Amino acid sequence: MDFIPHDNKTIAEMLNVIGISSLEELYQDIPNDLIIKKSNLPSGLTEPDLLRYMENISRKNKNYSNSFLGAGCYYHYIPTIVDFVISRSEFYTSYTPYQAEASQGYLQAIYEYQTLISKLTQMEIANASMYDGSTALAEAAIMATIITRKSTIILLKGIHPEYEEVVKTYCWGQDINIETCTEETLQTKINDNTAAVLIQSPNFFGDIEDVSKITQTVKEKSQNCLIVQVMTDPTCLGVLIPPGSTDIDIFIAEGQSFGISPSFGGPGLGIFTAKKKYLRKMPGRLIGKTKEINGDQEGYILTLQAREQHIRREKASSNICTNQALCSLAALTYLLALGRTGLKEIASQNIQKAHHLKMQLKKLPGYEILNKKPTYNEFLIKCPNIEYLIEACKERNLLPPLTISKYYPEMQNVALVCVTEMNSGESIEAFIDAAQSALKKKEEKN
Amino acid sequence: MDSETSLNLEGGNEDGQKNYVPKMDLEEINLQDIVPVNLLRQDLPLPNISEVELVRHFITLSSRNYGVDTGIYPLGSCTMKFNPKINEKIARLPGFTQTHPLQDENDGSLEVLYEISKLLGEITGMDAFTLQPAAGAHGELVGLLIIKKYFEIKGLEKKKLIIPDSAHGTNPASAKMAGFSIIELNSNENGEVPLDQLEFAMKEGDVAGIMLTNPNTLGVFDRQIKEITRIVHDNGGLCYYDGANLNPMLEICRPRDMGFDIVHLNLHKTFSTPHGGGGPGSGPIGVIDELSPYLPEPCIISTEQGIVCREGNNKSIGRIKAFWGNFGIIVRAYAYILALGGEGLKRVGQISVLNANYLRVKLMKKYHLPYNRSCQHEFVLSDRNIPNEITTEDVAKRILDYGIYAPTIYFPLIVPGALMIEPTETESMQSLDSFVEIMTKIFEEAKNDPNLLKTAPHCTPIKRLDAVLAARKPILHD
Amino acid sequence: MDYKFPEELKYTPTHEWVRVNDTQATVGITDFAQHQLGDIVFVELPEKGMVFEKGSNAVEIESVKAVGDLKMPLSGEIIEINEKIVDNPELVNSSPFNDGWIIKIAFSHPIEIDELITAHEYKVITQKELQQ
Repeated sequence: MDFIPHDNKTIAEMLNVIGISSLEELYQDIPNDLIIKKSNLPSGLTEPDLLRYMENISRKNKNYSNSFLGAGCYYHYIPTIVDFVISRSEFYTSYTPYQAEASQGYLQAIYEYQTLISKLTQMEIANASMYDGSTALAEAAIMATIITRKSTIILLKGIHPEYEEVVKTYCWGQDINIETCTEETLQTKINDNTAAVLIQSPNFFGDIEDVSKITQTVKEKSQNCLIVQVMTDPTCLGVLIPPGSTDIDIFIAEGQSFGISPSFGGPGLGIFTAKKKYLRKMPGRLIGKTKEINGDQEGYILTLQAREQHIRREKASSNICTNQALCSLAALTYLLALGRTGLKEIASQNIQKAHHLKMQLKKLPGYEILNKKPTYNEFLIKCPNIEYLIEACKERNLLPPLTISKYYPEMQNVALVCVTEMNSGESIEAFIDAAQSALKKKEEKN
Repeated sequence: MDSETSLNLEGGNEDGQKNYVPKMDLEEINLQDIVPVNLLRQDLPLPNISEVELVRHFITLSSRNYGVDTGIYPLGSCTMKFNPKINEKIARLPGFTQTHPLQDENDGSLEVLYEISKLLGEITGMDAFTLQPAAGAHGELVGLLIIKKYFEIKGLEKKKLIIPDSAHGTNPASAKMAGFSIIELNSNENGEVPLDQLEFAMKEGDVAGIMLTNPNTLGVFDRQIKEITRIVHDNGGLCYYDGANLNPMLEICRPRDMGFDIVHLNLHKTFSTPHGGGGPGSGPIGVIDELSPYLPEPCIISTEQGIVCREGNNKSIGRIKAFWGNFGIIVRAYAYILALGGEGLKRVGQISVLNANYLRVKLMKKYHLPYNRSCQHEFVLSDRNIPNEITTEDVAKRILDYGIYAPTIYFPLIVPGALMIEPTETESMQSLDSFVEIMTKIFEEAKNDPNLLKTAPHCTPIKRLDAVLAARKPILHD
Repeated sequence: MDYKFPEELKYTPTHEWVRVNDTQATVGITDFAQHQLGDIVFVELPEKGMVFEKGSNAVEIESVKAVGDLKMPLSGEIIEINEKIVDNPELVNSSPFNDGWIIKIAFSHPIEIDELITAHEYKVITQKELQQ
C-alpha cells in the first residue's frame, strides 16, 4: 500500500525547488558505507491481501464462548458507544494537546475522566493516565520514596505476581529496597526507612481486604509511611467502598475493565490517583480548568507541566510522556454510558454470579474454596486434578481458569476462577459439569 | 466553555438504565449476605446520562479537536503521519481483541509478536527484541536498565551517561530512573556532537555510554556518527539509539550500522499507529546479540521447537510491564510494515526528507534558520528575526487561526524561540504550499499588525488561555 | 529590558541576591532571574532547621515553562521561610528584592561573604548571558 500523495512529476518539481536533482542527494550527509544497498524486506501488500493475511493469523488464536479466566485481564461487556467515540478520528489521530485552544475537545474529555475517576474512587486528584496498573504501581512506589525521602517499600502478600515483578524492576533501577510480608507480620516489618506499604484489594486471590484496618496498623507504627492500594478490576467500585474512604495515600487501578477489550493484555490503562497534598510529586499529565487571559470563557489546559520530563528533564520524578489517552477516553465513555445504575448492576452481577459458582462448587466432593475472606469476581479452588479440569473446560468451549502454580509453584492443583456479568447461567452450569467430569476422570484413574 | 459542550456530571436521570448489562439469569442474592456491610458503598456519584445525550456530547467535543485527519500536523519529532484505516479494522478483529494474555491457544498473537520482531530487526539491524515497553520513554527506561545490568554483572562501576543538549526531555529523565547521572554535551555550531568533549568525558572511565538520536532534534544527521560510537565503544561504553527520529532512515540507513547497541522504536511515530491524543503508544527495544540475555521477560525467541517464550534467565533485567506489551498497537504496526514492504518503507524515508527540505528552503526566506544546512525529516526555525518582538508562541497561536495545527514550540532547548517542523511523508505538495503561505502571511502580519498576533488565537472556540492561573490555582476536576 | 540591580545587596553568579545583617542573611532571586523564569507558579521551600552547604539547591522555583533552583549563597541553617509566597508566588515576580524574599539563613562560615559579588559584577554577568 502507498499512502504518499506525490507522483513523480511532483517529486521532480520539489527537487527542483530544493536545488537538487535526485532523491539520493537528500542523503548527502550520510556516509556512503552506511547507506543500505539492498533491502531484505518482502514487498508490500494491498489492502485486501493484507486483510486476508491478518485474518488468517487472528484465527490462530482461539476464542471461547465463555471465560473463567481473569488474573488481571477481564471480559466485561463493552457498550457500542465506546468504540464509536474512540473511533472519531478527531480524537484518535490527534496528539498531546499542547495547543490548548485547538484541542479543547480532548482536553475537556480527559478533564471529565479525571473528574469521574475522582468521584468513583473518592481520591482527591487523578491524573490523565499511566501505561497500565503494573507500571502505575511501580511509579507510585517511586513517588512514595520521593515524598518521604525514604528508600524501602513493603509489598503485602496478594499483589498480582506480575505487578510485583514490575515494582521490583523499577525499584532496582533506583536502588530502592523491597520487602514482602503478610498482614500478620506487617507491623514488625515497618521501620523508619519504610516509604510505603503496597496492598492489592481485591487481591490476586480474590479476597476483598479490609484496607482501613491495614491503614490503621501502618499509621500506628509510622507517621511518615504511605499506603498505596492497587486494584486490577475496578468495576467492583460499583458496589464496594471507595478507596478514598479508607484514608490511603495513593490508589492505582488497571482500567482495562472500563471499556477496553482484553487484546492479549494491551493496551491497558493505568488509573493513578492520590491525596491532593502530593499533587506536585505526581507523575503523568494533568488537565486543569482555567479562564481565557482576556475573556470570561472557561477552558481546559495541560497544567503543572513543570513536574514533567520535558521541562524538568533529569529532575523529573518520572520520564512518562506518551501515556494511554485514548484508553482514558474509552474509560470515560464506559463510565458515562453505564452510569451509576449500570455500574452498580454490573458489579452486583459479578459478585452474585461468582458466588453462585462458589456455592455450587462447594457441594462437589474433591473441590474446596480456599478463600477465607469475601471475594468480588475471583476466587481460588483446590481441585482433584487441575489438568483434567482445564481439559474439560476446553471441551465445553470454556476458557479455563488460571492454573495458579504458574506463579506459585507450591500451590498445586489450585485454580483462580473468574466469573463476570458476561458468564451466563448456562456457562456456570457447564463449568460445574466440567468440574464433575474432571473429578470422575480422576477417580477412574485412581 | 459554553452550555452546548458542558456535561452535568452529577445526578442526571434518577432511574438510569441497564442497557449494557446482560439479564441476570440466576437467582438474585442479597449483597449483604456475601460481603460485610462495612465494605459496601452507600452511594455511587456517577451521573446517569442517556446514550443520545452522550453521543451528542462527544460529537461536539470531537468537532473542537484537531487531528491528522483534519489537516497538517507538523509537530517536530512526533511524526504525525497518516494513520491507515485498514489498521483500525485489523486491530479490531475478534481473534485479536478477544484473546486473553494468559490463555494457551495464542499462536496468532505470538506469531504477530515474533514476526514483527524479525521485521524490526531487518529495519534496524538489531538481533533481538522486546515488544513490552508501552511507549518510547518506557523503552528508554528498559534500554538503560539493560545497560545498568550489563555493567553490574561485569562488576564495573559506571554510573554516568552522556546525553547531548539537544536531547528530548525523556532521555535525562529515563537516565535518572535507571540510576544514572548525566554528562551533557554542548552541540557544536553544526548541531553535531563535539568529538573532543566526548573523548574527554569517556576518558574518565565511569561512563556507561551515550544516548543519541540520529538524525537529532535539529533534523541534522551527525556525519561523525561512526566516530562517535567508536569512541564510546573503545572506552568501554554502550551506545543507545533513541528511535523517535527513525522515519527518514527507513530502509536508507540502519542504527546497527551506525554503531548502536540498543535501539528503541516508537511504533506510534515511525510505524503509523495513531497517537490517540497522547497514547497508547508502543516503544519496542532491539539489542545486539550480546545484550539479548538482559532483555526483560517474558521474551519471544525462536528455537527449533518454534516460537517460545524465554523466562527465568538470571541476566534479564526482570519484568517491566504486566503481560506482553501494547498488543493492539503492535498489531497495527505489523500490518503497516507488511502493507508497505521494503520499497514502501524506503519511499517513506525519502519523501519525509523531501517534504522537510522543501519546507525548509521556502520558509528560510523569511524565518531564521539557526543551523543552515540541509535537514532530514525535520528542521528548526527560530523567532530571532520576526519583527516587533513577536515570539514563537505568538506565531503558534496565530497559526491556529488559519485552521491548522502549530509545530512544536520551544524545543529543542538549544534554540531560543525554537519552532520545530516535521511535515512527514503523507503531506502533499499542496498541503505544504498551504502551510508556507500561512507562515508567510503571519510573518507579514508580524510586521504590519503585531497586536493581532500578540492576542491570537481569535478564531478558535476559545481564546488564549491563562496557563499561569492553571498552574497557580490548579482545578483538576469538578 | 531594564533589570534592577540594587546596589546595597550582594549577589551570586547563579542569580541569587543576599542581604546580610550580623549573623543572618535574607536571600531571594534577582529581577533578571524572575524574568528568565517567567510567571512563577510555585515555590518549593525547605523546612526550617534544614542545613545546606554553599552552592547546594535549597529551593525549587517553578514557572509555567521552567524550573529553577535557588542555590545557597552561604552555608548555613534555614531559620525562616517566606510563607507569603506559598499562596502568592507572583510576589517573587513583582517584588523580587522585597516582598518576594525567599529564605533567611543563619550562616555558619562568615568568610564566604567575601566570595559574594557586587551589583556591578553581577550586572556584567547578566549582560554576557543575554549575548549568548
